[in-house]
Amino acid sequence: MSSSTIQVTDSSDLSGQSTSRLVLQMARRDISTLFRTPWIIISRSLAFIIQLFVFAYLISGLVVKFPGFFPYYAVGSVVSVVASISFIIGYDIFEEAEEGLLDYLLTLPIPRREFIIGRALGGAVRAMIYTIPMFAIVAVLENFSNSLSLMAAILDLFLLAFGVTGLSITVAVSVRSANRFDVVLALLELAVSRASTALYPLAFMPSYVAALAPFSPVTFAADSTRAALSGSSLDILGLAGLLAFVAIFLGLGATFYFRRLEGGVYA
Amino acid sequence: MIGFDKAGKRFGTLDAVKEFSMTIQDEEILGLLGPNGAGKTTLMLMMGTVYRPTSGKISVNGLDVVQHPNDVRKMIGIAFQDPRVDGILGAFDVLNWHLKMTTNLDKVEREDRVEKVLRAVDLWDARNKRTWLMSGGMRKKVEDCKVLAQRPKIAVFDEPTAFLDVPSRLLMWKMIRELRDEGSTVIVATNMMDEAERLSDRVAIVNLGKLVAIDAPEQLKGKTKGGEVLELTVGNGQEFPRECLTQFSEVQDVSQENNKVTVYLSGGRLLLPKIVETLTNRGVKIDSVHLKEVTLEDVFLNYTGHRLE
Ligand SMILES: Nc1ncnc2c1ncn2[C@@H]1O[C@H](COP(=O)(O)OP(=O)(O)O)[C@@H](O)[C@H]1O
Ligand SMILES: [Mg+2]
Repeated sequence: MSSSTIQVTDSSDLSGQSTSRLVLQMARRDISTLFRTPWIIISRSLAFIIQLFVFAYLISGLVVKFPGFFPYYAVGSVVSVVASISFIIGYDIFEEAEEGLLDYLLTLPIPRREFIIGRALGGAVRAMIYTIPMFAIVAVLENFSNSLSLMAAILDLFLLAFGVTGLSITVAVSVRSANRFDVVLALLELAVSRASTALYPLAFMPSYVAALAPFSPVTFAADSTRAALSGSSLDILGLAGLLAFVAIFLGLGATFYFRRLEGGVYA
Repeated sequence: MIGFDKAGKRFGTLDAVKEFSMTIQDEEILGLLGPNGAGKTTLMLMMGTVYRPTSGKISVNGLDVVQHPNDVRKMIGIAFQDPRVDGILGAFDVLNWHLKMTTNLDKVEREDRVEKVLRAVDLWDARNKRTWLMSGGMRKKVEDCKVLAQRPKIAVFDEPTAFLDVPSRLLMWKMIRELRDEGSTVIVATNMMDEAERLSDRVAIVNLGKLVAIDAPEQLKGKTKGGEVLELTVGNGQEFPRECLTQFSEVQDVSQENNKVTVYLSGGRLLLPKIVETLTNRGVKIDSVHLKEVTLEDVFLNYTGHRLE
């Protein structure tokens, strides 16, 4: 091969590698990972639609006490999907460390901080991309009032995605054993989305679930998304709860991840 | 220049690398030769900022790897021992992404480099085959190609020809030499004598996490006493009388591993009958005698007291 004409990459060549470009590269990588297997997305979207129409219509017919259950349930389903897709990043990160792919990523000339930001961003954005078609259907069903309420709803969902991504990363980098990791993450996912007002109002829940649900980030997101879409006043409480959730877990996830990467604990 | 200054890495209670000091010159190929578990990979991953040294210092072109990890990363490219490629991607995408992350080449230049290197190793036709469907050898080539395409200032290859067939090995060696000729500093870890000997400008022998010897292959062999080696197989379970051989001034050293005795000597041809006679008189049963030039294998044995395999 005519490799003799190729110059060795000088380190100064890389000075132009802007930080934001590297963050975006990392984010893009995580986004493309999720969309590599389109049939999963298609089948899950179909399942979502079927579930929404068949199941929810049936239920809302039965639940006479709560006539607005269908739109309630529809919005909540979207919120649940955002949460569960956001959880996947933890599995990705855990698997990467197990397979050694992480070692490779760590040799790339990207500062650890940008690496982590890129991943959290990628995890959240891909959950949003994944959910947007479902969200569009639901928003139309909901007769959303204006574009501002649409934006507010998307913001709620995005905050939830970001926070859950952070939570998932936190668990992925703090639990060592693969078995325990799967269990912990699955339980958390279950707790966070089932013990929430995503699919049923508080009044319909068993008391022990109802006691937990008000603190679930999925509750914050579900309530404020519903408020936004229905054009009623902004759900300040829900939004504040979401912001706190994002700040805490994104912060924790980034800190733990950073320590583990720089400390060579993955070693 | 790369400097290891009493560098060490401890995993729990195991010292994978211990008090390791050496200097790697610019634009040389340094072979790290040692058996599995010697600490070669750990050494290179510490240099590559993946593992943090637990003691000592490592500097790359004057930059401490702990203090300036980001600057160090910009200079290094590592081809891992076990290919670290995203299985669902094809070779083309793996390499293209690697270059995206490690160079500032524009799309055209990047794809051109990827194409050249894939054609060179005969993987162009398989460029879109998912790497998880590839054979071990193909995947290993893709891993090596990352660094061959990146052409970093410091190129690290961890056992670059494991799983490769003979023609591919020779080709890989040629491409690694070209990289050096163009100005890269190259570090190659290997547990294969011939690879260390034929590829490296200098060889560092590593055993149990420690540097045992470092020099040009010829020098290492020269230092290993006399330049000739007599290999004897003696009767099983026999106590071997060392001193009756060390009495000869031409005999530099004698080592024994089970029933294999290695005698390092100068002027061996003349001494051979005398040695056989002496041993026979002492009642040692000699099953086989083999006289040969010193190889790195002998150097290794001489320094560590055991064979590489
Ligand atoms: N991540 C790790 N955690 C614990 N022990 C390790 C790790 N990596 C390597 N070791 C141990 O350190 C020693 C050196 O390993 P390594 O550097 O891979 O040797 P080599 O590359 O020469 O075969 C071995 O005993 C190995 O088991
Ligand atoms: Mg190794």
